[in-house]
Amino acid sequence: MTKRILIVEDEPNIIESLSFLLDRAGYLVESEQDGAEAMARIDTFQPDLVILDVMLPNRSGFDILRDIDGLDTGPKVLMLTAKGQARDRQTAEEIGVTRFMTKPFSNSEIVLAVQEMLS
Amino acid sequence: MVHSLTGTRIRQQRTRIGLSQTALARQAGISTSYLNLIEHNKRGIAGKVLLSLARELGVPAQSLTDDTDSGLTTALQEAAAYLPKEAPETASLTEFAGRFPGWSRLLAAVFRKTQDQDTAIAELSDRLAHDPFLAESLHIMLSNITAIRSTAEILRSVEDIGRDQTSRFHGAIHDESKRLSEAAQALIDYFEKDIGENARTATPEEEFEKFLSKHDYRFPSLDLPDADADEIDVLLVDAARSMSAPTRKLARRMMQTYLDDTKIMPLSAFAASALAADYNPSALAAEFQTNLHAVFRRLAGLKRDGVAAPAIGLQIVNAAGHALLRHPLTDFPLPRHGNACPLWPIYQSFTQPERPLLEWIELPNGKQFVALAVALPRETKAFDVPPDYRAAMLVIPKDQARSFAPWLSNTQTVRQVGTSCRICPRENCPARCEATVF
Repeated sequence: MTKRILIVEDEPNIIESLSFLLDRAGYLVESEQDGAEAMARIDTFQPDLVILDVMLPNRSGFDILRDIDGLDTGPKVLMLTAKGQARDRQTAEEIGVTRFMTKPFSNSEIVLAVQEMLS
Repeated sequence: MVHSLTGTRIRQQRTRIGLSQTALARQAGISTSYLNLIEHNKRGIAGKVLLSLARELGVPAQSLTDDTDSGLTTALQEAAAYLPKEAPETASLTEFAGRFPGWSRLLAAVFRKTQDQDTAIAELSDRLAHDPFLAESLHIMLSNITAIRSTAEILRSVEDIGRDQTSRFHGAIHDESKRLSEAAQALIDYFEKDIGENARTATPEEEFEKFLSKHDYRFPSLDLPDADADEIDVLLVDAARSMSAPTRKLARRMMQTYLDDTKIMPLSAFAASALAADYNPSALAAEFQTNLHAVFRRLAGLKRDGVAAPAIGLQIVNAAGHALLRHPLTDFPLPRHGNACPLWPIYQSFTQPERPLLEWIELPNGKQFVALAVALPRETKAFDVPPDYRAAMLVIPKDQARSFAPWLSNTQTVRQVGTSCRICPRENCPARCEATVF
């Protein structure tokens, strides 16, 4: 069965390139730019993995991560952020993020991370 | 030790007119040894002895008594407290200020500059860690770089991309490159502007105070009957070139409040009512149906050409003691960076919110003032938010209060206060929170 990935990211060009890469890697990919809509999309799309940005319009990635952590069978989360500070990483890890990656990243780096998380 | 220059002035006048100490003492009817102590500022002097000496010296008694700028003295005391290891001769501070006023002003100015720069350095360090503009800028730039890098990698490494997709990727690189350069330029402008402005003034608060001081805390054009918010823009245009964005925000907010106050209390009507009410804020608040803080603000800015009114100082602070507005008096310095005397009624008012307090207070130099203070909550229409109290205090010098506001009886107890603990000589004050350097 094809694994599903939801990209929650406000930068359309990052969505475009990530979608292209992950689609080619054999995943079913959808995206959401609005932080406030993320949980509704997770509910309807039922992704196996969420690639989640920290700074989003209307709702922060950390708040979304807390909600995902509260789900009984929630998706895995790969957190993407432009903030590489130890404090952000610590916050994400305390909430229960599966993996943390800072921007800018290479294409091979992120595809490899996704493959490892969904294998 | 008597902190007064009276003795020094007596000695200077005596030598100026060629009179010996013995001769002056004899003519004034006091002993030579007593005059010697007076001339070396080791004995206080007042009443008949002062009048006798003044008469024999041929000068008015008033010209011999202390009129040293207490704001300057306070600044020098603060400077002494700043570097106590240098062991400045604080006992002769008043004499130093009186004999070398130019050097004293220079020292006070250098100290204030140092203090402001310390604050600016702390703020800049804090900003690097927490500034939302920097965080947002870096987020935008790193997102741009991520998009460019990822897209460029795809174009370089993937061969079978459709024409439309290729075109979209090219467009993405173009757009993101443009946004990246704009974000980088904004960041450079931000730092360059900040560096330039901090070379002139240390903090937005200091710049804001300079702006207010330049206008003498009054904006006559906003007092005109048809003044509106456009007039604020006009006032800001002149200052805009040399003013940072945070300072403009402070100035705009303050002038909007000023304008709002003028609509409720137009200048001519308010001046007439204030005179009729002997400058009683409660009566004025009732007459103009507004709150005491608004009346305080209007009273503090009332004195001007063509309007006879008492000289009044004003300070407004939040519940954390942060000074939101300072309109100091020459003889009643208001610390710029907090640490004022906790006994001031402005801080006491937080313990009795919404209750107006009136107290006579006396600074360590003996100067007395009447202080009117009240803490009021800021209006909010939101539910379940903690109240945000602001306290305001009017300070009126004793002589001004007597002339203009006879309803202010000075028969009640006078509270001994200071300006700040570090330079306050009241050793056994129960409110002391740090050691004095004196």
